[in-house]
Amino acid sequence: MTDVADRADSRADQGTDDELIRRWKSGEQRAATLLVGRHADSVARFVTSLGVRDDVEDVVQDTFVRAFASIDGFRGESRLRTWLFTIARRLVLDARRSERWRGEQVEVQDGDARTDFDPLDAMVADEAERRMHGAVARLTPTQRQVFGLRVGEGMSYREIADAVGTTEGAARVHYHNAMRAIKELLDD
Amino acid sequence: MTDCPDGAVRDLLPELVNDRLAPDVRRRVDAHVRDCADCQQEVELLRALRASLRRVSVMDVGTIVSAIPAYRAPRRSWGGWRAAAAIMLLAVGGTSVAVLQRENTAARDGGVSAVAPSGRGTSPIAQPSRAPTLPAIQHPAPELALGNPAIDELNDRELATLLAELETLEAFPSPDEDRSADLVVPSPAGTD
Ligand SMILES: [Zn+2]
Repeated sequence: MTDVADRADSRADQGTDDELIRRWKSGEQRAATLLVGRHADSVARFVTSLGVRDDVEDVVQDTFVRAFASIDGFRGESRLRTWLFTIARRLVLDARRSERWRGEQVEVQDGDARTDFDPLDAMVADEAERRMHGAVARLTPTQRQVFGLRVGEGMSYREIADAVGTTEGAARVHYHNAMRAIKELLDD
Repeated sequence: MTDCPDGAVRDLLPELVNDRLAPDVRRRVDAHVRDCADCQQEVELLRALRASLRRVSVMDVGTIVSAIPAYRAPRRSWGGWRAAAAIMLLAVGGTSVAVLQRENTAARDGGVSAVAPSGRGTSPIAQPSRAPTLPAIQHPAPELALGNPAIDELNDRELATLLAELETLEAFPSPDEDRSADLVVPSPAGTD
């Protein structure tokens, strides 16, 4: 989904997230389609930033099923998207604990583990873009998550802290460290 | 590439490129960026990085939506059953045991089996197994409840209070306890 579509979808034409939730609760199934269409790609990107590769669609689907099943637990204090991210993150962590998604355990901890090769690299033809992608891939997992939410989604530090389970201050530090690392890698 | 010395503005540039700044803040940041070569470079880089980050995956909306169960209001279905049963307990008081026994006998004699409230969901998450531990109680409950005007007039809040009080008595089992623990997703505002 492109940015333009993302923005055109939201608020003005189709109603706010809160309105769509109300409409879905009163039986309008199309409201769920609009909500999923509005947020699915962002959730998918977030799930990818958590290090999930092969089961992104499954995690995204589970996230929405879980969210809609417990929609009354969404109190509107945060954006719906942030809430979806917290659900997705919990699903990924739970799955790793139960090892349902095998082979993804590498990035649970934000230690020294870095991804030296990202399979998406190979799909990106443009040289400048490939370098950028490579730079992002070399961030630590937490840096990459925070950076993705900050730059890819434009989320505030508060929202990022909620989504990735950290503090606002830590999110800011992660973002600036990530930005510095990326600039250094691109300047090389 | 050098960093702009105005850290506050620089910190807002990701929200600028995502069009998420409030109008007044946006005007201030725009005015700064117009005159700042460092910020212009950083905005350019952020735009490119953003495009790169957003290139990933296009989800199949239809598949996801087809897995989402229809909405179930908490009190209308499952909660409603418990409310009705709770009312019955209050309404008939000490005679409830007798009613229960009679109903059990009737069910046995007439071959009528109580039907557990069923989830309408399609996914395993939305359709947990939850067999009520007092199945016989739900059948007679509505008639008895309707027969008591005072309890008929309880609003939702009063019903909730009533239920909460009944819960503390432990006179009433909560078959959905496991499920609620499974489904509750904390609001992000509650973290930290
Ligand atoms: Zn500047």
